[in-house]
Amino acid sequence: MTEFLTFTLAGLVLGAVYGIAASGLVLTYNTSGIFNFAHGAEAMFGAFVYWQVHVSWGLPTWLALIVVIGIFAPLMGGALYFVIMRGLRNTAEVTKIVVTVAVLLGSVALSQWIWDPLTPRSIDLFFGPTKKVEIFGAFLSYHDIITLFVAVLIIVGIWLLFYKTMVGVAMRGVVDDPALLQLNGHDPQRTSALSWILGAMLAVIAGVLITPISGGSLDANALTLLVIDTFAAAMFGRLRSIPRTFVGAIVLGLASNYVVGYFPSDWSWTPNFRLSLSMIVLFVVLIVVPSGRLTASATRTRERYRVPTLRMALIGAVALIVTVVLIRQLMVVEDITQLALGMTFAVMALSLTLLTGYAGQPNLGVVSFGAVATVLVFHNGLTGYRVSDTMTWWGLLIAVAITAVVGALVALPALRLQGLYLALATIAFGVFISRMVLADIGPHKLFGMKFSLFTQGSLTIPALKVGPLDLRDPTTFLMSVTVVFAVLGVALIALRNSGYGRRLAAMKDSPVALSMLGQNLIGLKLGVFALSAAIAGLGGILMSTALGTVNVGNFDILLSLSLVMLTVSAGIGYVTGALAGGVLAGVGFAVLVGTFNNLGTSNPGSASTYSALASFITVLPAVIGITIGRSPSGFLHELFEGYRRLLNAKPVLIGGALVEALMYVLALTDTLDNWWFGITTFALLFLLPVFGQVFMPAAMRAPHESVAEPDPIWEDVGITTPYTLDLRTELDRRLGLPAPATELATRRPSAVAAGSRGV
Amino acid sequence: MAVLETRGISVRFGGLTANDDVSIDIEGGAITGLIGPNGAGKTTLFNVMTGLQKPTNGGVFFDGQDITGISPSRRAQRGLGRTFQRLELFLSLSVRDNIRAAGDVYNANHRGNRVKVNAVTDQVLGLTGLEDIADQDVADIPTGRARVVEVARALVGQPRVLLLDEPASGQTEHETEVFTDLLKRLVAEGLTICLVEHDLPLVMAVCSRIHVLDFGVLLASGTPAEIQANQQVIDAYIGTAEATK
Repeated sequence: MTEFLTFTLAGLVLGAVYGIAASGLVLTYNTSGIFNFAHGAEAMFGAFVYWQVHVSWGLPTWLALIVVIGIFAPLMGGALYFVIMRGLRNTAEVTKIVVTVAVLLGSVALSQWIWDPLTPRSIDLFFGPTKKVEIFGAFLSYHDIITLFVAVLIIVGIWLLFYKTMVGVAMRGVVDDPALLQLNGHDPQRTSALSWILGAMLAVIAGVLITPISGGSLDANALTLLVIDTFAAAMFGRLRSIPRTFVGAIVLGLASNYVVGYFPSDWSWTPNFRLSLSMIVLFVVLIVVPSGRLTASATRTRERYRVPTLRMALIGAVALIVTVVLIRQLMVVEDITQLALGMTFAVMALSLTLLTGYAGQPNLGVVSFGAVATVLVFHNGLTGYRVSDTMTWWGLLIAVAITAVVGALVALPALRLQGLYLALATIAFGVFISRMVLADIGPHKLFGMKFSLFTQGSLTIPALKVGPLDLRDPTTFLMSVTVVFAVLGVALIALRNSGYGRRLAAMKDSPVALSMLGQNLIGLKLGVFALSAAIAGLGGILMSTALGTVNVGNFDILLSLSLVMLTVSAGIGYVTGALAGGVLAGVGFAVLVGTFNNLGTSNPGSASTYSALASFITVLPAVIGITIGRSPSGFLHELFEGYRRLLNAKPVLIGGALVEALMYVLALTDTLDNWWFGITTFALLFLLPVFGQVFMPAAMRAPHESVAEPDPIWEDVGITTPYTLDLRTELDRRLGLPAPATELATRRPSAVAAGSRGV
Repeated sequence: MAVLETRGISVRFGGLTANDDVSIDIEGGAITGLIGPNGAGKTTLFNVMTGLQKPTNGGVFFDGQDITGISPSRRAQRGLGRTFQRLELFLSLSVRDNIRAAGDVYNANHRGNRVKVNAVTDQVLGLTGLEDIADQDVADIPTGRARVVEVARALVGQPRVLLLDEPASGQTEHETEVFTDLLKRLVAEGLTICLVEHDLPLVMAVCSRIHVLDFGVLLASGTPAEIQANQQVIDAYIGTAEATK
């Protein structure tokens, strides 16, 4: 009985913290329409700042709490809203998801820059571990009691805020109709800002409370991912109801503790099962959550992608292969292997081009599908022994096919709900794979067979060998991966130009209209998800081959997140976006960081400068991701537009090509360092449209294009945007009305002129 | 005889009753009008008929068969097409590709009996008079013509019943005239149409029967002449001295 009570009390306390964290998520989502994947990162940052203020600077607990919850958290939440989130209106759901993911990654990088992860830090229970009360033989520490009390306070507080105050009513309304709210005299910006501030405060409270409960030591990654454990609770509240969210959280907390208490301790799966429990619960909740109603949804978002023709795709594929061959000539073996690794990431990113770019469905656990395929190929697809072992082509195919089925099974429960649920399901799947499958290193006995999924914590994946094609040679491997990417890329563009591709695009734009044409949406989504999981699986196997030996760190969920983020930043609607995003995520930034660290070691005098630069580059990807709101179609889209114009300024284009050719020759003859060749090539690539603008401004302006203003947000015209004659003319044009406004505009000055002449 | 029928449809959202025991029938090969003031529950009834909204009570019958439980896409496959009051176009595609997408869906559902998507698209573009803007981005065309694109898109799958939700709003007078002609031609070819519309002259001109909804309740059903003479309908539209609820 005492034992049961102990587990129950611990479960209630854990559930209370989960509830506090999840309620912040739900609150922010409901008032700003943005699901904050960085909520855990906020909690983590809060805990670190609390450590800094309380432990490092020695402020008393109460003062430290005031500083962290009362000053730091509101500043953080407000800054997030005003600097980043406010710019996300009229963007696709995927863009919103990716921006908060970028904040998550940036926070982790920034915290590791400020607080060196190699130094251990910890925070204590409030009032220390000795202060506790006894309840029928079970113990509850003062910290636990405070946690429970705070949870109750928050539930009551949020209820009072939402139902008893004007600002709360406004907060509930702001997502549904910001324009209406504004007409009623509320400022939707202030309401949204308030929700981000409250969300940040709840996150920080959760962070400060949970760190001592879960051991006390501060670990940026672990704390950031902790919020994923609360997704199931938020989902149980259907992302709307705070009370239901708390119920879900309590159930989750209790279940985790009962698993520890009552699962057979000799069962080898128990510890991993406990860690994955919230992911399993999340999938159960997904299955039982009632489907949302299919509603009208087509709004014009700011993302724009041009679909290349098949001919252009083929030209691009050949150009890519030629480029890689040329670059290969400049490289030593280690570099070739690095570039090949980057290309394998690009293959994984292609799965996102198909799924997210074409069909509008998110997947935040891409690399984990690569892990599934890798485990499968390790167990079933190898032949030979030790040094001479190789991968078989049929083993590869079977692994990829099974990964497609796994993908379908993962996606199935989420598909009848909105895209956000799929994002949550895939991120949970990623964590599940890391905690359950890849952590399965010890042997089990099942049906008399002794096995473990991820034997001893690392798998050695040999290269594929089919007939004369032996991928163990680095150059052969690089070229093979490049060809795989090129072929898949062309295939995807052909797919996008086919009827199937049009149906995917239509589903992305208006699912409700497509279903009213007779399309079974779940079938279409399921098919495309399975196909994209297969591509991710293939990319994952290639990545594992490139690495040779893989461990759990190679399939970290943060890797999936940065892959998604960089691919979206580059342009997820484009195959080239996958290339840029994949290479950047796979090796690009790692290479830069490594270069700066090497420079630091070889120049001890300016080592601190170089290490600061290296740290800055670890934060850089997130900075790029955060700016997606400004150009949601990705930086490649902007670049392509520049080059389309540059086609009219041939001399500049030819000049650029000549300079690049010259530099290549210099690099080939070792006159120019590879590093400088790389920098100047990228600079030239991005600056050439600018040069065109400078040298031949007339040619750069396409004849049919006027220098148009960006589209105003039509709902705001007359509310926050001044109602000008131009806007009225444009509205009339869109509504197909005759245009008296323009006549008025041209007539008025002349009438005035005539009038003055008359007098 | 009635091709599409609702029997005792009620839809309640919490305390709000959007439809209350509504039974209407839509005659085959004719245009049926569904009118009523804003908020009368017309679009809700469309959503019930097409399966986007589950009714709290009542059933929907297509060719005498109960289709209340089947999915929107299944209903569409059986021959129920619709357009949307708030346009639901595929905004990243051109006008032509919007229509081709409908052909692609048709082919995906009729593997043994495919149509030539490009030919059908050209035919529909010609029928609806959209050839001049076929290759423009659908996001850039005026609302009045965008409504025609929705109709064109719905026609590709050769529906038997077409539900049009305020197709004339946003159209110029001239566009409405052309559109009226199109509707008449479609009906002459055997299509059944149900029309939600605020342009009463249009409704009176093309409909053979009209149902009037007010506050979710079916107020009256009859020919245009009967409806125009119905005192209750006049009160609902113009308001009476004591109607202050």
